[in-house]
Amino acid sequence: MKPLLEVRDLRAGFPGPDGPVEILRGVNLDIAAGEKVALVGESGSGKSVTARAVLRLDRDADLGGRVTLDGTDLLTLPERAMRDIRGARIGLVFQDPLASLNPVMTIGWQIMQPLVIRGVRKKEARRRGIDLLERLGVRDAGRRFDDYPHQFSGGMRQRVVIAIAVIAEPALLIADEPTTALDVRVQAQVLTLLRELADERSMSVLLITHDLGIVAGFADRVVVMRHGAPVEEGQVDAIYAEPKHPYTRGLLASVPRIDDDPSRRLTTVDDALDADVPVAGALEGGSR
Amino acid sequence: MKTAVVSMTKQGPDAPGGGRGGSILRRTRPSRTGRTSIVDRVALTVAAVMVLTAFIGPLLAPHDPYAVDLGQALRGPSGAHWFGTDANGRDVFSRVLYGARVSLLATVVVIAVATLIGTLIGTLAALGGRIVDEILMRICDIGLSLPAIILALGLAAALGPGLQSAVIALCLTWWPGYARLVRTLVRDVRDAEYVEAARTLGVSTPRLVFRHVLPNSLDTLYVQTTLDVSAVMLVISGLSFVGVGAQVPSAEWGAMIAGAAGNLTNGWWAVVFPGLAIMLTAVSFNLVGDWLRVRNDPTLRGRQS
Repeated sequence: MKPLLEVRDLRAGFPGPDGPVEILRGVNLDIAAGEKVALVGESGSGKSVTARAVLRLDRDADLGGRVTLDGTDLLTLPERAMRDIRGARIGLVFQDPLASLNPVMTIGWQIMQPLVIRGVRKKEARRRGIDLLERLGVRDAGRRFDDYPHQFSGGMRQRVVIAIAVIAEPALLIADEPTTALDVRVQAQVLTLLRELADERSMSVLLITHDLGIVAGFADRVVVMRHGAPVEEGQVDAIYAEPKHPYTRGLLASVPRIDDDPSRRLTTVDDALDADVPVAGALEGGSR
Repeated sequence: MKTAVVSMTKQGPDAPGGGRGGSILRRTRPSRTGRTSIVDRVALTVAAVMVLTAFIGPLLAPHDPYAVDLGQALRGPSGAHWFGTDANGRDVFSRVLYGARVSLLATVVVIAVATLIGTLIGTLAALGGRIVDEILMRICDIGLSLPAIILALGLAAALGPGLQSAVIALCLTWWPGYARLVRTLVRDVRDAEYVEAARTLGVSTPRLVFRHVLPNSLDTLYVQTTLDVSAVMLVISGLSFVGVGAQVPSAEWGAMIAGAAGNLTNGWWAVVFPGLAIMLTAVSFNLVGDWLRVRNDPTLRGRQS
């Protein structure tokens, strides 16, 4: 079966003070319809840039390679047609829910917006917005619909942001560290909601995170990125049970455990890399 | 520590914050709450009365503001002439009422034109890229380097002195300030994450500008325009006073002061009442501007309840 999103040899360069800087060095990524994929890696590994490149959000980025969604090549699409992809075919959830909400507009206005700009009647959009908010566990959604973002708590705001991202029923939802700004309990709630929502609508999800702890319960498949290219990918269980690439092993080893000896220094990825003899060959990928 | 005690007893939602030497509680309190205080109410009332006067003032005026009656010259305030009469025996009260229309209308025209041009140029400069920005801002610099009064003098020479020349000169010199302000405000907002987030939803550029960027950047502009009502009014009155704005027989507050200034010692009322009108309008519009700013900020408005 042909995957919903197909990323082939995606490259991204950004203008820097000493000429262009290559951030993505050939990313390959497939997401099937209804599949939940986690993109994991440390800060600066190019996870977010990959997501932004798929939606062509960075105007100054020099993109190469191929990104196809349902057979449409997104990189060569005219800007106007790209606008119809954003929000309607691919939704994006940002990290900081407060910063990604317009402070002077009611959350209802913002939830309705993706529908309203596509010609859905206000009344209909409002009904769908309230239903969706209710589904996302916002109590009294009808009354809270006309409140402003600052009147919501962090967890509720993230639900609003998710509602905005999925109201136009995109086939793919990209969640860029959606739980980083939330506390652990709310993190779990939001992730559970995301998973349920994805299953109900058979929506694909690309979850971008550096938190391996949340990946296991969420994703079907994991792609590990480093230095702008994937180094390993596989089913969640396989990666956790038997990581092949030393970087993946390092990442897994560096997750602190509650039953660790508290006097022991925490393991870093570099410790693991030093201890390992790098595996040569195809698995090495773009790692350097 | 008497001051501390006094400030403690003044605690209340309307207690002005940020004062020197107040309690910590008072200093950490936001300087304004969403509440409409008594001062705000008074200012709103005065501003409303001024605007109303501009509309219906001529209907209320007991005398013809231009009727010369030398037999009644320089009479003090009385039952027949509430604000007295000027050196030509014209009723000052009627002239102040008529003047509200002239002064406020001229001010509103200047502010409206300047805001419109300023917002347009400022937004274009902020969003149009570096070259557009450079060109527009250098044009602004030219505008800013011309003092209103010199330009008004030049225009008065070209078009003939009159309120029209003053208004045109002010429009030409006032917009660059707004353009600068709007450019800065829009630049602050344009890279905000929520604008980016709206773009990821497929929102078109015009909608991004008008529904996301401008509503978040223009609240400071509202305040600036209402604050400028007083400044523009003072400059127009000033231009009239030095003789390049409204001409002397005209019932414009600045021109009235100019015409009566020579008789300040034996006819103070002909100077003081138009002066009071200018002052009250200026102060009340300043306060209304501040009140509007608070009302337009939903994070401050939330404190009401």
